[in-house]
Amino acid sequence: MRASTLRNFLPLLLLAAAAAWAQPADPGGVAFFESTIRPLLRAQCLGCHNPGNRSSGLAMDSREALLEGGNRGAGAIPGQPEDSLLIQAVLRSGDLKMPPAGPLKPEQVEALKKWVGMGLPWSAAPLAKKKPGTTHWAFQPVKRDAPPAVANAAWVRTPIDRFILARLEKERLPPSPEADRLTLLRRVSLDLTGLPPAPEEIAAFLADSRPDAYERLVERLLTSPHYGERWGRHWLDLARYADSDGYTIDSPRTMWRYRDWVIRAINRDMPFDQFVIEQIAGDLLPNPTEEQLIATGFHRNTPSNFEGGIDWEQYRVEAVADRVATTGAVFLGLTVGCARCHDHKYDPITQKEFYQMFAFYNQADEIDHEDDRPDYWRPTMEIPTPEEAVRREAFRAQFRALSRELVQYVRALARRGDLAEPGKDPGLQERVKNLRALRRSEPKVTVALVMRDRATPRENYIHLGGDFLRKGIAVKPGGFAVLPPIETGGGTRLDLARWLVSPTNPLTPRVTVNRWWQHFFGKGLVETENDFGVMGAAPTHPELLDWLAGELVARRWSMKEIHRLIVTSAVYRQSSKVRDDAAEVDPYNKLLARQTRLRLDAEIVRDAALAASGLLTPAVGGPSVYPPIPEGAMSVTQVKREWPTATGADRYRRGLYTFFWRSAPHPGLIVFDAPDATQSCTRRVRSNTPLQALTLLNDEAFVEFAQGLAARLLREESDDGARLRRAFLLAAGRPPSSVEQERLQSFLAAQLDAFQTEPGTAAELAGQLGADARDLPRFAAWTQLARVVLNLDDFLTRE
Amino acid sequence: MLEENPLKRETRRHFFSRCGMGLGRVALASLLTDGALWSASQTAVAAGPLAPKPPHFPPRIDHVIYLFMAGGPSHLELFDYKPKLQELDAQPTPDSVLKGKRFAFMDTFSKEKPKLLGTRRKFQRYGKNGLYFSELLPHTASIADELTVIHGVNTENFNHGPAKCFANTGSFRFGRPSMGAWITYGVGSPSQELPGFVVLQSGPRGPRGGAALWASGFLPTVYQGVPFRSTGDPILDLSRPQGVTERAQKQTLETIRELNLARLAETGDSEIATRIAAYEMAYRMQTSGPELIDFSKESRETLEMYGVEAGQASFANNCLLAARLVERGVRFVQLYHTDWDHHADLSQPLDDVCREVDRPSMALVKDLKRRGLLDRTLVIWGGEFGRTPMGEAREEGKIGRNHHIDSFSLWMAGGGLPAGQAIGASDELGFSPLDRPIETHDLHATILHLLGLDHTKLTFRFQGRDFRLTDIKGHVLRELTG
Repeated sequence: MRASTLRNFLPLLLLAAAAAWAQPADPGGVAFFESTIRPLLRAQCLGCHNPGNRSSGLAMDSREALLEGGNRGAGAIPGQPEDSLLIQAVLRSGDLKMPPAGPLKPEQVEALKKWVGMGLPWSAAPLAKKKPGTTHWAFQPVKRDAPPAVANAAWVRTPIDRFILARLEKERLPPSPEADRLTLLRRVSLDLTGLPPAPEEIAAFLADSRPDAYERLVERLLTSPHYGERWGRHWLDLARYADSDGYTIDSPRTMWRYRDWVIRAINRDMPFDQFVIEQIAGDLLPNPTEEQLIATGFHRNTPSNFEGGIDWEQYRVEAVADRVATTGAVFLGLTVGCARCHDHKYDPITQKEFYQMFAFYNQADEIDHEDDRPDYWRPTMEIPTPEEAVRREAFRAQFRALSRELVQYVRALARRGDLAEPGKDPGLQERVKNLRALRRSEPKVTVALVMRDRATPRENYIHLGGDFLRKGIAVKPGGFAVLPPIETGGGTRLDLARWLVSPTNPLTPRVTVNRWWQHFFGKGLVETENDFGVMGAAPTHPELLDWLAGELVARRWSMKEIHRLIVTSAVYRQSSKVRDDAAEVDPYNKLLARQTRLRLDAEIVRDAALAASGLLTPAVGGPSVYPPIPEGAMSVTQVKREWPTATGADRYRRGLYTFFWRSAPHPGLIVFDAPDATQSCTRRVRSNTPLQALTLLNDEAFVEFAQGLAARLLREESDDGARLRRAFLLAAGRPPSSVEQERLQSFLAAQLDAFQTEPGTAAELAGQLGADARDLPRFAAWTQLARVVLNLDDFLTRE
Repeated sequence: MLEENPLKRETRRHFFSRCGMGLGRVALASLLTDGALWSASQTAVAAGPLAPKPPHFPPRIDHVIYLFMAGGPSHLELFDYKPKLQELDAQPTPDSVLKGKRFAFMDTFSKEKPKLLGTRRKFQRYGKNGLYFSELLPHTASIADELTVIHGVNTENFNHGPAKCFANTGSFRFGRPSMGAWITYGVGSPSQELPGFVVLQSGPRGPRGGAALWASGFLPTVYQGVPFRSTGDPILDLSRPQGVTERAQKQTLETIRELNLARLAETGDSEIATRIAAYEMAYRMQTSGPELIDFSKESRETLEMYGVEAGQASFANNCLLAARLVERGVRFVQLYHTDWDHHADLSQPLDDVCREVDRPSMALVKDLKRRGLLDRTLVIWGGEFGRTPMGEAREEGKIGRNHHIDSFSLWMAGGGLPAGQAIGASDELGFSPLDRPIETHDLHATILHLLGLDHTKLTFRFQGRDFRLTDIKGHVLRELTG
C-alpha cells in the first residue's frame, strides 16, 4: 500500500478500529479465539491476570479488561500487535518478560500476534471465575452472636467469660481458680498503669472487704494519669515513635508533643474513632485546634534521611510507603506493604490498590528536592515551650517598644521638619540599627512535625516494581475492592480516616480489640496480630472477637469500657500457674484455662524498680529526658551526640520519657526488647538473656534504685524483719514465704558482716544516696538485699 | 525454616509442667540439692536460642569476621588497576557511560560534566598469580596469596546509610535483620559465654545508620549484634558495682538463683529456668569478658604485628580482639572502621586511613592462620560501595571521587576459598562489571553457603511472608565455593 492510498484509507481504518474496540470481529475470529487463544490464555495468563488477582492491575478474562489494561496501561491495541504490550511481553523484547516461567513457543507467539492483528475477537463465554479470597473471615462484616450458654454459669462475671468457658467446657477443661488478691492487684496495676501497687495501696485493697473491692480498684486505675502513660506507650510502638530522625544523620527532633497528646487523649478516653481521625487527618478537620494538628504527628514519626547527596524524592516516597504499610498493620491488620512492588501474593490486595492508598498520603507538603534542604522537617508548626513563650513574649514586647519609639522619633523629626535627609540623622540611624540587631536575636521556638497537604497536588501513579523512578498508570485515591468502598469526596486523608473507623469497616474494630487482648493475655485471639489475611492465624475464639469488636463500636469506641470489661472478667482474673491437665490439651494456652506469666516490658522494668525504690518522679509528659546511660553507649552514632545526664527529678522519670535516639537507643530499653522505631511494631518479643541479667545486676541506674530502696527501707521500718518483708512486698507485690524470708535473712547477715569487716567497700556501694547514712555497712548490706529482690523473677514478671 | 529442636523444647516443657506441680510444696533446702531441677536449668541453656544448631549441610566455616570499611573505599586507588583510565585522565566522561546513571550529589555532577580521573597511586603485582595492589596497602599486598579479591561487585543505593544497610541486611530500607542476626538465628553460636554476634567500632565516628546495621529486625532481639566498647569493659554493665566484692556478687547470684528455683517449682513456668540459665551465663561473662580483653598473654611479636598500642582504642586493637573472639567461639564479628568517604581529597586523608587499616588487616589473617583458625573463619574486607572513575573537585587544588555503586572491589580470606585469585572484573574504566555483576545478595548467599546454610531455606515468617536475607535474589558464587 502506497502512502497516498493509506491516507485515503485512514478514515476507514479508524472507523474499523473503533468498531473493533466496540465489539468482537467476525465469527471466524471467534472460532480462532475459541480454538487457539482461549486455551492459551487459560494455561499461560489467567493464573495471575484474573479479576481476583489482577497481577500488575491487569485482568485478561474479558476483552474489555484487556483493553483497559493494568498498571502499565492498555494490555493490547486491536490491530496493532507491534505496539501491544501483550505481544512485547511474550516476545520478551523489553523489560517485561511474560509468562514469567519461560518463553512461549514461537507458534503460540505468532497466534497471539495474529489474534491482536485481527482486532482481538472474543467470545461471550466467561473466561474466569470471580475473585477468590473474598470469602475469608476477616473481610466479612462483624457478626454479633449472643454469648453462648455454659454449664458452670457461676464462674461467669462478664459476657466474655461465656465465650471462653463454652470452649473450655467443650474440651472438658475447667478454668483455673481466681488468682489470690495480691497477685490480682499487682497484675491489674501493672497492666493498666505500668506501675506496681504501693504498700499503702496493697494495705487498702487487702482491708477492703466490700464485694466490689476489685471493681473499685479497676475504676481507680482507669482514672489514674498513669493509665495514659501505660497505654500511650503501647500506642507509641505502633506509631514508631522516636526522638530523632533516624537514618544517617539522626538529628534530634521534637515529637514529644505528639507523645503527650497520645497520653492525654487516652487518659480522657477519647473515643477511638476520633483518636484515629485526628491522628490521620486532624489537620483537615474544620478549624483544627492546635491539639488536632499535633495529633497528626502520628505519621510524621517516619524516619527521615537528610544525608548529603540524596535524592529527596526517594526518601519522601519511602516515608509515604511506610504510612501505607503502617495503616495496613495498625488498623486493618493487613500486610498491605507487601503490595508495594507487585500484587499481594496471598491476599486480595493489588499493587494498584496499594498506590490508591498511597495517593491519600502523597500530598503531604514534605520536601522533595535539594533546594528546600533548609526546610527539611516541613511541614511543621511552632509550639513554644512555656520558657520559650516567655522569652518570645519578652522579645515581642521589646520589639514593640523599640518600634514605637522609632515611630515617635520619626514623627518628632517630621515635626521639626528634619525629614529631608533622615538617613543622616544619627539618632535615627542608631534606632534603626538597634531594631535590626534585636530582630536578629529573635528567640528560636520549638517546632513540632505535623501533617499538612501541599497547595499544588502531586501526581499519583503506580511505581512499577516499587521503584519510584518507574512510572506506571495514573491512580486516584481509593481503597480495596475486597472491603467496603471509601467515600471519597475529595480523595483526602480525612476520607481515608473516616473510612478506617466507619461502621462498615470490619477490620479496624477487630484488629484493635485483638491487640488490646494481646496486652492483657500475652497473645491475641488472632495470634498474628498484624496479619488478618489468608496467611494469618485463624481466631481462637471468632465469636468473642466479633462480640468485642461490636461492643467497641456500640460503646462509642470507648477504650476504657472495653478494658474494664476485660480486666473484670473471670478469665482475666484466673491464676497463671501452669497446669498439667491443661498443658496436655492446650500446650500453648490458647484456650485460656489460666492466665499467662509475662515478663515486664522494657520501660516497665525501669518503672517498677523506680517505684519500689521510692525514687520515681511521677510527673506526666514534657520533653524527653536523659537518665544515666552506660558509658560508651553513644559512641556508635555517626554524628557525635550529647547525653546530658539528668541530675535532678528528671533522673527518675518513667521509661517512656527516656530520649530515644534511633541510631543509639538507650541500652536499658533495647536489652529488654523495646522496638527500634524504624517501623510500626505491633507486638514486642519477650527475650530472656544474660545481657538483661547484667543490666539488672550491674547497671549504674539499677544500683541507684537499689540504694534508693535501701534508704527507703531503713527510713520506713524500724526492725529488720519488717524491712525485709517490705522489701519483698515492694519488689514482688507479696510478702515473702518463710523460706524466702529465712534465705534473705541469712544473706543480709552475711553482707552486713562483710561490710563491717571492710567498711571501704560499704562506702563505695552506698554511693550518693547513702552518703549520709549513719551506719554505712548497714546501708550497704540493705543495698545488697535490694539488688537481690530487684533481680528476682518475681520482680520482673507480671503473674 | 529453622526451628529450635522441637524434641528438646518438648522435653523441657514437659519436664517443668510435671515437676512444677510435684515440687510445689517441697522445702527449698531439698530443692537446692535436687539434681533433676538443676540439670533442667542446664537443659534450658542447651536449648537456648543461641545454642549451636545444625546447619542445612556440612559447613565449610564456623566463623565470620567482617571488616567493614565505612564510607566507601576507592577500588580505583586500592585494588582495581585501570591503565586505560590513567590514559584518559582529565578527559570528559563519555555520555555513553553516564547515560541513565544516577549518582549521589547529582547537582555537582550536573553543573559541570565530570572528568575521568586516573589514579595517582602506583600499582604492582603480588603473589603467585600477580594480583594488583596499590602502594597504599603494602601489608595487605604481602599476603596476596591468602586473599581472594573480588571485582565487579555492585549495590543498589548510593547514599551511605541506606547502602550500609543494604550491605548488612540485603535491603536499603532500615528495619530488616542484619546478616549476623540471620546467621546466629540460623546456626546459633559455639560460645555460650560471649554473645554470638559482636560489633566493634573504630575511627573518628560511628558508622552512619548506627544500630540499624546490626539490628535483628523482625527476628527475635536475642540475635541482634552486641556492640563492644573499645576501652574499659567490652560489654556494657559487665563489671560488678563499685563496692561489691567478687564474693558478695557471688552470694548475690546464689541467692537470686535459689529464690528463682523456688519460684520455678511453685509456678512451673519454664521461662524461670531460662532466666536462671541467663544469670549463670551472665556470671560466666563477668569472668570471660576481662580475660577476653586482657592482651597480656599475647606475645610482643603478636602485638607488634597488629600494631596494638596498650590501652589505645584502634582498628588494630579491634582486629586482635576479633581473633580472640573467634578463638573463644563467637560466630560473627563485625568491625566498623569509619572515614573512607574521600569526596574532596584522595591524597593525605586516604594515606592516613590506609595506614590505620592495612597492617592490622594483614596481621589478622596471618594471626588466624597461626592460631589454626583461618580454615574455619571467613574474613571479609570491604565497604558499602566504591568510588566513581570520574573525579570530584570540591576543594581548590584537590581531587576526590564520588560514591559509585555499579562496580567496586572487596577481598576475602580464609574459609578454604581459592586464595591468591581475583574473581570477577570491571570494564577498562572501572565503571561497570565486565561480565555479570556480583551482587550483594550473591555475597550473602555465598557466606551463608559456607556456613552450611541454604539461603533460600533460611527463612523467618513475618506478616504472613517467609523472609530471607537474600530477599528473592542471590546466587551462591561457585567461583568461591568450588
